[in-house]
Amino acid sequence: MTLKSKLLGAAISVGLMAAPAFAENVKIGFNVPLTGFAAADGESALNGAQLAVEQVNAAGGINGDMLELVVYDDQASPKEAVPIAQKLIEKDGVVAAVSGSYSGSTRAAAGIFQEAGVPYISAYAIHPDITRAGNYVFRTSFVGEVQGRAGAKLAGENLGLKRAVILTIKNDFGQSLAAGFKEAAAKFGVEVIGEYEYSIKDRQFGPIVSKIRSDNPDVIYATGYFFTAGPLVSQLRAAGITTTVIGQEGYDSQHYIEIAGPAAEGTIITTSLDRDSSAAETQDFIKTFEAKTGHKSDMVAASGHTAIKVLAAAMKVAGTTDKAAIRDAIAATNLVASTGTISFNALGEVQKSVQVQIVKDGNWHHFAVIDDAALLAPPTE
Amino acid sequence: MLYLELLLQGIVQGSIYALIALGLTLVYGLLRILHVAHAALFTLGAYLGVIVTNATGSLVLATAVSMVVTGVVGMAVYKLAYEPLLGKPPFIALIASIAMFIASEEIFRIIFGPYGLSYTNPPLQGYYEIFGGFYLKYGEMLVIGLSIVMLSILGWLSGNTRLGVSWRATVTDPSMARAFGINIQNVRYLNFFIGSALAAAAGVLVALLNNLVEPTMGSVASYKALAIIVLGGLGSIRGTLVAAMAIGIIESFGTIYLGHILGRDALAFAFLILVLMVRPQGLLGAK
Repeated sequence: MTLKSKLLGAAISVGLMAAPAFAENVKIGFNVPLTGFAAADGESALNGAQLAVEQVNAAGGINGDMLELVVYDDQASPKEAVPIAQKLIEKDGVVAAVSGSYSGSTRAAAGIFQEAGVPYISAYAIHPDITRAGNYVFRTSFVGEVQGRAGAKLAGENLGLKRAVILTIKNDFGQSLAAGFKEAAAKFGVEVIGEYEYSIKDRQFGPIVSKIRSDNPDVIYATGYFFTAGPLVSQLRAAGITTTVIGQEGYDSQHYIEIAGPAAEGTIITTSLDRDSSAAETQDFIKTFEAKTGHKSDMVAASGHTAIKVLAAAMKVAGTTDKAAIRDAIAATNLVASTGTISFNALGEVQKSVQVQIVKDGNWHHFAVIDDAALLAPPTE
Repeated sequence: MLYLELLLQGIVQGSIYALIALGLTLVYGLLRILHVAHAALFTLGAYLGVIVTNATGSLVLATAVSMVVTGVVGMAVYKLAYEPLLGKPPFIALIASIAMFIASEEIFRIIFGPYGLSYTNPPLQGYYEIFGGFYLKYGEMLVIGLSIVMLSILGWLSGNTRLGVSWRATVTDPSMARAFGINIQNVRYLNFFIGSALAAAAGVLVALLNNLVEPTMGSVASYKALAIIVLGGLGSIRGTLVAAMAIGIIESFGTIYLGHILGRDALAFAFLILVLMVRPQGLLGAK
C-alpha cells in the first residue's frame, strides 16, 4: 500500500467516523421483491416500510439513534433470500430484519435469521411454517387458514350466502386460505358445491367462468392477488355473472379496482387495513402514505409499515441493540399500528381482528369487522 | 350446454395461441431459429394496444398502430440480433433470443411500472346470448372473428400473390429461390413483420379479455408457443394451427375436470409428450 492510499484510507475512515458521532445509525434489514413477478407488491411494501422508518426517525429515532433500512431485492425467490439473509447478518450487521416478501423467500430466510439469533418479522407472508423456524421469528399478518375461516364466517353468517364455489390459486397462499374456508364452512352452514384451481400465471378464466355459470352458486370464494382477481372478476361480470365475490388481502390494492373497473363494485374482502377506521394511527398512515407516494395505500404497504413500527417500538423498549432483548420486547408487543392492535401468541403469530372491506364507488370501504377470537386463533405450535 | 361453452372457450384460447405461435413457426421455417423473444413482441403489442386505446379511445386505431409498430420492431430484432448470428450454430441465436426476452420483461417494468396497465374504459365488456343459456362475450367473439380474418388473409396472400409464392419458395429452398431472383432479405423482413404483427394482435386481444397487461405477461406465451410449434410439427403452419386449437381445447376442459390433478400448463405439456411418443415429428410434421 502506498503512502497516498494509506492517507486516503485514513481520511475516509475519519470521514465515516465523523458522521455517526452525533447520530448513530441502527441498521435493520428488509428483503423485498423489487423485480420479477411480485415487484408490484414489493414496491408497495417498501414504500410502507420507508414511511415507517421516516416517521420513527422524525419522532427521535430509537432513543436518539436513527433507523436505517438496508434493502435487498429477493425477487420473491427462496434462492435469492438465503444469501440476502446471510449478507444482512454478516456484512451489514443488522440488529433485526423484516420481510416485505412472499412466503417462499420469507420461509427460506427465517431459518437463517433464527440460527443467527436475529429477530425477523414477516410483514405479509402467510405460510404457517415461517414462524415455526423458531422463537426469533414473528408475523404481523394473518396465516392463511385464519383468514380463510373469517371468509367462511363472512359468507355464511354476515352475508347469509350458503352455496359456495371455491377458486384456489395454486400456491401456499391460495391453498391455506381455501383450507381455512373449508374447515369453517360447515360451522356457518356454507356448502361447497364446486372447487377449481388455477395457477398464478393464469389471467384467462373463460372455462371457469362457464362452469361457474352452470354451477350457479350464491357466493364465489376466489383466492388470488389483484393481478389475478382483477381479470377474473372483470371476466365474470362481462359474462353476466353477478354472484357475490369474496376475496382476501391479495385483492387489497387500488390496482384491483383499476383492473376490474366497474366490475369491481361490490367485491368484498377479508384484509388487515380498514380505510374508514377511526383509529388515528390508521388514518395518519393512509394520509401520509398517499402524500408521500401519490397513490392510494394498500394492505401490503400497511403491513410493511406495521412490521417496522412493531420492531421500532420493541427496540425502544429494549433500549439496547442486544438481539435477545429486542426479541423479548417484540414478543411482549402491545401496539396500536396501522393494521390494528398488535400482540403475539407464544409462536410469534399476530392476534388481531380481520377487517372486511367492500368496493364502493371505486374505492375500498368498511363493510364489517370479524373479531371472533376463538375463530381467529392462530396456530400455537 | 356446458360442454359447448367449454369447447368455445377452448377455441377462443386456441385462436390466441395460434396468432402467437404462427410468428414462431414462420421464423423457424425460414431461419431455423427458436425465436423465444417473440413473446416479448406479444407483450409489446398488448402495451401499445392499451396505451393507444387510452389515449385515443379507438380500439381499431390501437390495434392497427400496435400491429404496425410491433411488426417493425420485429424486423429490427431480426436485423440487429439474428442476422449477425445466421452463420453461427442455432443455439447461439436461441441464447440471444432468451436474453432478449428476459431483458424485455425488466424493460417493460422500468418503462411502464411494475403494476401493469388497464384500459380506463374497457371496450367490449358485455355478452350476447346466442341461444337459450348459451353465452359469448363480445371480446371472445372478436378474438375468434379477428383470428379467422387475419389467418384467411395470410392464407390468401401466401397462395395467390407473388409475395406469398416467393415467401414459400424461400422457405422450401432458399438457394433455389435466390437463383430465381427472389430477394431473400426482403422475404425475411416480411416474415418478421407479419409474425410480430400477429403476436401484437394477440396481445391486444388478450389485454381486452383480461383488462390487464403486465411486464411478465409473455412468460406463459413464450413456452406455450414453443410447445405448440413442436406439437404441430416444427415449421408446419397447418400443424401449428391444429396444435394451437388442440391445446386450447384440452386446457379448457382440463381446467375444469382435471384441474385438481394437473394444472393448465402441465396438461398442455402432458399432451405434447403423449403425441411425441406416438408421432415424434409432431401432428402434421414431415418425417
